[in-house]
Order: sequence, then structure tokens, then C-alpha cells
Amino acid sequence: MKHTLDTVTAWLARGVIAFLYIPIVVVVVLSFNDSEVTYKWAGFSTRWYGELSRNTELLAALRVSAETALISATLATLCGLLAAMGMARLRSRGKAVFSGGLFLPLIVPEIVLGVALLSVFGAMSADLGTQTLVLGHLVVTLPYAALIVLGAYNALDASLEEAATDLGCNAWQAFRRVTLPLLRQPLLAAWLLSFTISFGNIVMSTFTNGVGSTTLPLRVYSMLKGGLTPEINALGTILVLFTLLIILGVGLRQMRRVLLGAGRS
Amino acid sequence: MTTLLLAPAGITVAGLVLVPLLLVVRNSFASADAYGGIQGGWTLANYQDLMDPVYLKVFSYSLGMAALNTAVCLVLGYVVSYYLSSRSPQRQMLLLLLIIVPFWTDFLVRTFAWINLLSPGGPVNSLTDAIGFTDGATQWIPSQGASFVGLVYAFLPTAIFPIYASLRSVDHSLGEAARDLGCGWWRVHTRVLLPIARPGMLAAALLTFIPTLGVFVIPVLLGGGRDQLVGNLIVTLYTEFRNQPMGAAASVVLLLLMVASMAVFGLAARRLRRKSA
Repeated sequence: MKHTLDTVTAWLARGVIAFLYIPIVVVVVLSFNDSEVTYKWAGFSTRWYGELSRNTELLAALRVSAETALISATLATLCGLLAAMGMARLRSRGKAVFSGGLFLPLIVPEIVLGVALLSVFGAMSADLGTQTLVLGHLVVTLPYAALIVLGAYNALDASLEEAATDLGCNAWQAFRRVTLPLLRQPLLAAWLLSFTISFGNIVMSTFTNGVGSTTLPLRVYSMLKGGLTPEINALGTILVLFTLLIILGVGLRQMRRVLLGAGRS
Repeated sequence: MTTLLLAPAGITVAGLVLVPLLLVVRNSFASADAYGGIQGGWTLANYQDLMDPVYLKVFSYSLGMAALNTAVCLVLGYVVSYYLSSRSPQRQMLLLLLIIVPFWTDFLVRTFAWINLLSPGGPVNSLTDAIGFTDGATQWIPSQGASFVGLVYAFLPTAIFPIYASLRSVDHSLGEAARDLGCGWWRVHTRVLLPIARPGMLAAALLTFIPTLGVFVIPVLLGGGRDQLVGNLIVTLYTEFRNQPMGAAASVVLLLLMVASMAVFGLAARRLRRKSA
């Protein structure tokens, strides 16, 4: 027999999941609102998507974000892959120390990491710009990329590479012909996840951006301080769509590895 | 060879994380020049300045907000995780995907979504007008309540994943067995399932409590910037007041809070392990 409280909690859980979707659905619906103000429904229209495509400031910011995400995701995935291969050769103690360092940025509040980087850039009197932005985003994305690649690399059968070597491959050939193809999926997942993390980042960007390197979230944030417009909802809808595409690209299995793995250790 | 492989990640962590963190600690003891830059020297003045009632209020408000947010996220996170883990495997996959989508949706989008919902004359306002709870255009934003809803909304998925991770491998016949042996609903949860979920709950608490303190976007957009969190304080000190040493001191306080809460959670986890051993 089912307890009434079971029924109550089941409905509460369904309610919570619905609660997660209501705001997102509202953004999508209101982005098609033919009105100057977000909350008054004035009929269906795609005019805000048109306005969005002509907003040069937002397009410039989009470009900065895309470039930054592209570079930092690539660097993070590469560093992650190399680190995974290197760590496999370490003894357990060295491994523990190294992975501790690698995952440190996951625990330290991002705002402190941002302040810290800014202090270093300040001390070196480096110009803030796309380069500093990329370095900041590398710090934020590296732990996630490493988490995925490390998990996938450790799950590989080491004897495969040995077999390739026995059959006359040198280390590079074994890596290129055996390891890399086997890791293609997780590497793509690591890259895509890093890309989204960088693309949506606002905390680190606040401290590491410079004149001319305003990212999309920073631009939207300053627009929002002046009030929400249907144009921003249109942008939000595109970003929601982008999220769905990334999730499809990464696949549920890789997502689970990242999101559920953290709870077990 | 090994060194060469480890170098890129190692240099990144050392050069962009460890050294910078040490520099922040050092800067927090430096005095400021006329422009708020780092002048050098060693002083405790920055920390003394943070003892000002204005700033102490920010810290106590932040801790309260973070504690409340953590509590709400843990309760709702447990309810959702229990629901998830008691579904059939296919349903679990589908539901998990349903939670991943909002989790992965852009943070700013999720925040300004609430401006849509709560604006005067918006959906929530129309609803409360219809049931006669409010009359006319009500200001739901900016307010502390709106800020809090935004925080819960931002962190709830983060809290669900680790709790679900510790519950999903549970054999659900355990609960049934406990029920057969005469446990009521509450005892099935408090005696059997909650202890199993506890490592996940600890991880969820850690992933909610400290990051909440560092948030600065939500209190500005949904709270109107009046009631600040530590994150707002740090951003304000750096970007508006341009007082770098004091900003560094506030960052160190946040770091110390992180270390303290990790120690508390670590101790709790150790006691947990010893009990189950």
C-alpha cells in the first residue's frame, strides 16, 4: 500500500521539475511578443529576432565570446588530455597531489579566482583584453575538461596501447592510431562542455575583460541593469536552443559522468 | 616525457591559480596608494576596515541567505532525488535529462527569466491578481524574496545531482523491507534512505553554500542591489571603490569561510564513515 506522503512527495518532485521549466518557457514565449514591454502580450511576432540581428554591440560581444570560448575550450581539452596521459604514469601519491591541484578551481569560489588573476595581471601591468580573458576562462574550464578526459582515459584498456607497440608502432603512432580514436567521443564532450562554460561565464569575465573584450554575458548584464526588453528574451531563446544542441552533442552518458561523478568521491 | 605531458596543466594551475591566490593573500595585508592600488607594506587595516557595521551586515546577511538557500536546496533536492531514484531506469534517464537542460541553460538567461515572471503586470502578478491575493500592479522585484527565489532556482539542479548520485544505486527493496518490518514512512526515510543519501547531501551542501556567497548578479538584478552578498561586496570594492587591498581582504575572508565550511563538512563526512564502519 502506498503511503499518502509518498504521493505528496511525488507531486512535490514533479512540481519542482515544472518549477525549473516555467521561467525558461516564459522567456521563449515572451520573445515572440510584439510589444515594447515584455509583460504586455500584443500578439505573435518575430520582430525582436530582427532587431537582435541588427544590434551591432551585441554581435560584437557575441564574437568576443565565441572566440574566447573557442580558444579556451581547445586549450582546456588539450591540457586535460595531456594531463590524463601524464597522470597515468605517476605513482598514486603524485597522482593525488596533481589531481588535487587540477580540481582546486572547482572548490575555490570563482570570484576569488577572478580577483586573484586580476592581481597577477595588475602586478605584471598586463593589458586586460582577449588574452587575459582566455587565461581566465582556461582556469574555469580546465577542471571540467580534465574530469571528462581523465575518466575516459582511465577507462581505456592500457594493453591496447601496449599491443600496438608490440606490433611495431612507436609511441606517437600508438597514440594517433589507437588512443586518439578511442577518445574521440569524450574529447568532443570535454570540448563542448568547456565551450558552453566559457560562453556563459560572467564572474571570471568581470575581472579579466578589458576595453574591447566585452563578452556577451557582460553586455547582456549591463543591458539588463537598464531593464529587460523582448530583444533580450529573443537572445535568451537562442541561448536555450544552443544549450539543447550542446546537450545532444555531448550525450547523456558524458553528462552523467561529469554531474554524478562529483557526488561519489 | 611524463613531465612534458603534465607541464601544460601544471603550469596553468600553478601560474593562474596558486600564485594568484598567494598574491591575493599578500595584497590583503598591503596598504593602498592614493588611487586604491597596491602600495606594499604590511598592515591589518584592511581587515579592520571590514569590521565596519556596514560590511558586517553584508557578511551576516550573506551567511543567512546562503544557509537558507542550502537548506531549501537540500530538502527539495532530496525529494526530487528520491522521486528520480524510485522510477524505472528508462524514466530515470528521461527525468535526469529534464534536470540537465535547465542546469546547463545560461546562468543569465535563468536569472532574467525571473524578471519576466515577477515584473509588475507579469505572469505571477496576473495570477495573484486573479486569485485576489494582490490588487493591481504589485512590485515583486526588486525584493529580497525575488533575490532568494533566484538563488534557489540557480542552485537547485546543482544540489540534485550529488544527492541523486548517492541514491540511485540504492536497492529500493530496502525501503520495502523496512516497511515490512514495521517502519512508518518517516522512519523509512530518516533511518534507511537519508543515511544512504548523506554523503551526497554533504556534497550538495558544499556546492551550494560557498558558491551562493560569491554570487553577485542575482542580488543586483532581482534584489535591486540593496541587500548585498559577499560577491557584490568584492565586485564593488574592486570596480567601484577601486580599493584593491580591501577587495583582497574581503576575498581572503571568503576563502577562509570556504576552508571553514569544508572542515565542518569534512568532519561530518568522517564521523559518517566511522559510524558506518
